[in-house]
Amino acid sequence: MAVGTLDRAASLNRWRHRALIEKALIGFGFLALALVLPPWPGAVFVSLAILAFTFFGARVPLRLWLATAALPMGFLAIGALMLVIEVGADGVTLAPGGVTRAAELAARAMAATFCLMFLAMTTPMADLFGGLRRLRVPSELVDLALLTYRFVFLIADEATAMTAAQRARLGHSSRRRWLRSTAMVIANLLPRALARARRMETGLAARGWQGEMRVLSPRVPACGRMLALVLAALVAVGLAGGLL
Amino acid sequence: MHIMEGFLPLSHALGWYIVSAPFVLAGAARIRRIVREKPEARLTLAASGAFAFVLSALKIPSVTGSCSHPTGTGLGAIVFGPSVMAVLGVIVLLFQALLLAHGGVTTLGANAFSMAIVGPWVAFGVWKLAGRLGLSFAVSVFLAAALGDLATYVFTSLQLALAYPDPASGFVGAALKFGGIFAVTQVPLAIIEGLLTVVVIEALSGKIRDEDRIATLAGEGK
Repeated sequence: MAVGTLDRAASLNRWRHRALIEKALIGFGFLALALVLPPWPGAVFVSLAILAFTFFGARVPLRLWLATAALPMGFLAIGALMLVIEVGADGVTLAPGGVTRAAELAARAMAATFCLMFLAMTTPMADLFGGLRRLRVPSELVDLALLTYRFVFLIADEATAMTAAQRARLGHSSRRRWLRSTAMVIANLLPRALARARRMETGLAARGWQGEMRVLSPRVPACGRMLALVLAALVAVGLAGGLL
Repeated sequence: MHIMEGFLPLSHALGWYIVSAPFVLAGAARIRRIVREKPEARLTLAASGAFAFVLSALKIPSVTGSCSHPTGTGLGAIVFGPSVMAVLGVIVLLFQALLLAHGGVTTLGANAFSMAIVGPWVAFGVWKLAGRLGLSFAVSVFLAAALGDLATYVFTSLQLALAYPDPASGFVGAALKFGGIFAVTQVPLAIIEGLLTVVVIEALSGKIRDEDRIATLAGEGK
């Protein structure tokens, strides 16, 4: 998946202009519930709720969502499989209750991943960093993260262009060559990234930069009804998952 | 190898956050100091962080016919030094979680410890040790990158085993289980990454003129 795919989705969904606090409350709130509640039935309720917010609320495209969700599933499949088997004195056997434990783990990990995906696909990172600034995270670090975010796409574009040029010249025709080509991309990318930083620094210094990035980001006031709805959903899922 | 979101139970997720915190805070304090003294360093740091992230999204061929991604742990530790890597690593992990849905927020502490702390420190230690033993440049770089990668993977297996011990043979059995199954992909990957890093460093050392800048990043500059 290209580096900018989820970032684009985060800027194009229907909830792009909703207040950060609403989306953060949904994403982090349900993520916390996914970890705290017993996996059955808590994780199932969390998944259902977060999927409803993802598809009916933010209208995230299903295809993109599926492609993104497929990635961590390999890790989950192998990891859960390890809970099914046990290694004892008489070799590898099926663990008693292992299937249940694996299913519970899979349910929880999937619910949590869906929450992370909700955040990644509805909230641009610049907004999240703005939120960190309001939470009084040291401004040097937030600025660093914002600058990094800015650089990511510039450098990724450069890497993509280099890779495309190499492919067109049979740079990936054998494994050996592929590895060499990738190493060449990396070795060319670092000096270029540093040179770009140096040019930008000169440009900014010429404009009297004091080391603070001030960008205009419209603050959307949180909608009380939406917050109430989210809180109600959180409480409902929490109670249902905890008591049932 | 990243532990996915929600894979670790709450207590372990929090525990690893606490364990990683001192390293990351120390790195952050160092970065704040560097940035206070010379504000322009933040552009270099940001470019390096972005570089580390883009590097980890590049495809490299792997054994099973599929492709994989380099971690950049060894390269980062050699070029930037392990203490700065703790912060850059956390930034990379955060970006991977939010831009690629790879890894996670709750498992960030655990992943940070294995990928941004254990890996770089092992790579750096091996790099220094190999230099002292008089091994050749290429061999030292290869060992640093490959062993840094291996250390990350072994540590991740230990983290998983700690969270999910084997019902019959406990922690040790689980560590062997997780380590064994992930070895299929991770051991060849470590070797590939070692080779990759050798080619990168050899190509780089002819290119970077501004070596002071790298030294500043590694915290060794004046």
